[in-house]
Amino acid sequence: MKFVLRLIALVFACASLLGTQAASAQEKSATKEGFELPAQSGKKILVFRPAISVGAQSTGGLFEPNAEWTEQAKTNIRASLDKLQLQLGNAVVTAPEAYGDDARAVEEHMALFAAVSQAVIEYQFFVGNRLPTKKRDNKNDVFEWSLGPGVASLPGASQADYGLFLYNKDQYGSTGRKVLQLVAAMGGVGVKSGEHIGYAGLVDLKTGDLLWLNADGAMGGDVREPEGSEKRVRQLLEDFPGSTIKDDQR
Amino acid sequence: MIAKPIVLGLGLAALALGSPTLAAPAPLPAPYKGVYQPQGVDEIGMWREDDESERRLAASPLVLRDEKLTSYVKGVLCEAVGNDRCNAARVYILREPSFNATMSPNGTMRVYTGLLLRVRSEAELAAVLGHEFGHFEHRHGVNGFKSARGATDVLAWAQVLASMSSSYDVRRSYQNLELSVYGSFFRYKRDQEREADLTGLGYLNASQLQPQAASAVWKNLMGEAEASARVRGLKKPNFNAIAFTASHPPDGERATYLSELALPEGASRGDGADRYRAALKPWLPQFLEEQIKLNDFGGSDYLIERLAEDGWTPELWFARGELFRTRGNQRDLANAADFYTKAIEANSNLAPAYRGLGLSLLKLGRTADGQKALRTYLQLSPAASDAGMIKLMVPGGTAQ
Repeated sequence: MKFVLRLIALVFACASLLGTQAASAQEKSATKEGFELPAQSGKKILVFRPAISVGAQSTGGLFEPNAEWTEQAKTNIRASLDKLQLQLGNAVVTAPEAYGDDARAVEEHMALFAAVSQAVIEYQFFVGNRLPTKKRDNKNDVFEWSLGPGVASLPGASQADYGLFLYNKDQYGSTGRKVLQLVAAMGGVGVKSGEHIGYAGLVDLKTGDLLWLNADGAMGGDVREPEGSEKRVRQLLEDFPGSTIKDDQR
Repeated sequence: MIAKPIVLGLGLAALALGSPTLAAPAPLPAPYKGVYQPQGVDEIGMWREDDESERRLAASPLVLRDEKLTSYVKGVLCEAVGNDRCNAARVYILREPSFNATMSPNGTMRVYTGLLLRVRSEAELAAVLGHEFGHFEHRHGVNGFKSARGATDVLAWAQVLASMSSSYDVRRSYQNLELSVYGSFFRYKRDQEREADLTGLGYLNASQLQPQAASAVWKNLMGEAEASARVRGLKKPNFNAIAFTASHPPDGERATYLSELALPEGASRGDGADRYRAALKPWLPQFLEEQIKLNDFGGSDYLIERLAEDGWTPELWFARGELFRTRGNQRDLANAADFYTKAIEANSNLAPAYRGLGLSLLKLGRTADGQKALRTYLQLSPAASDAGMIKLMVPGGTAQ
């Protein structure tokens, strides 16, 4: 079965070579209506095990996972997250290690968050593709998504106000890929080198409502370096409720 | 890498000669060298991704959480590959009714319930698990990744260069190249499978179990595929043809070379069929239920009848009734009612058999008998999740 996945990856890798870029009329972040988080309100934010994966992109476009880069990125991103949230006046708490049923509940909610955020990206951020209930003329141009009240029973949830989910995937173009890109460009053929995707989502730990989501398929900052990671986390948090990060950068 | 074609060659030469007396049995495994750790950027990177995936797997609702069954399956693996080697594997049983097992680079072994339903003895299970362990021992995961990367690298260059050229000849030769790159990629996958087959059989030859079982696994699968095709009205499958994109050697080829590579003296060993049947017994009804939902009438009926070779049990009669009732033609319902009745004759407390019988009889127009069976069902399991719905079909609404 692994083979089937590999075959799909293979076909995609080849297809993506000459593929067109995604349409640009796409939003990247949204906040639930009425939700405010004033700076220095001293809230506790529970961070669930972030999904971070860093590697290279082979000449043919396959993802080559790199364990060392991933570990560096994990450390760097966590440090930047602590620093920036502290600036906003919030404290970041790591979710405790879970066992048995708790571990299964956490895993289920991580998967649920991934599914919900995919739905948001597909059916809300991409304006032309909005679901009928999410359309402007329907007076429902509201950001209304939820993971359900089950989040309240996750380990560590009772000690914090909000839950933060993070997903980050970086593929750095290998030398071979870059040379290919260069040669292709000379011939007028578009080849993409590298891929940098990041999502961050804030969830109300009492109701499970999604309060804020930022998802970007083209992020900046080299997460393998501390400065690059800070740039990445700034970008991830730039529309964070109550955040002045965007203004800082100007 | 140099040794592989020679070893493979031995097995295939035996195949070509087609005579069991001339076939060399699969070689015994080399002494265990101790746990290996990943080396190089690619392998370390793959292990890390694999570790993350195993972490998710361990908390997944797909995993069948039964310590007894899991440790039994692990025990069979250990019996096949030896206690020192089997420490490298962590076994997870997945609730998935198809025939499969996998072992990934870091030692995560996934065994599908569909495999457990299909194999009939410890020796057959050991043959499949030993094969998977062979993939692990030869690092097929990372080597397969490298081969895929090599293939896509060539294709990427060829595609870019071909698209920059306006000549038809260049584009056509790109298409030829593409086919040959894919062809050799899939051939490489099949050679990996053959290598794992050979290694798996080597373990089995060295174990206390009957190595001839490996070939039986594939013969049974072919039987099932034939039965499935027959009911669907399809042509009899060709078990010796290789599709261009096939990842595995054809079943017919595997059955033949595995039987030739088995140590002839091993035929007198036990196959652990009794122990296997006992270990699987508590789970058989559930595995059969999931199999029936696959909507593969021929395949499911073949499986049930093969299980019944050791004697029909109430559970098997019941499963057969469910299979026929699920297809649901009037003639099927008559047969289903018959099977449910046999199940009830053998075990008069098998509540779901009364439900099946009752529902079948109602559709056959035998209302009074049907309602009687449904009343018995409600009596036997008043708290069933469908009790409310069944009550609607019984006048008076209750079991009185």
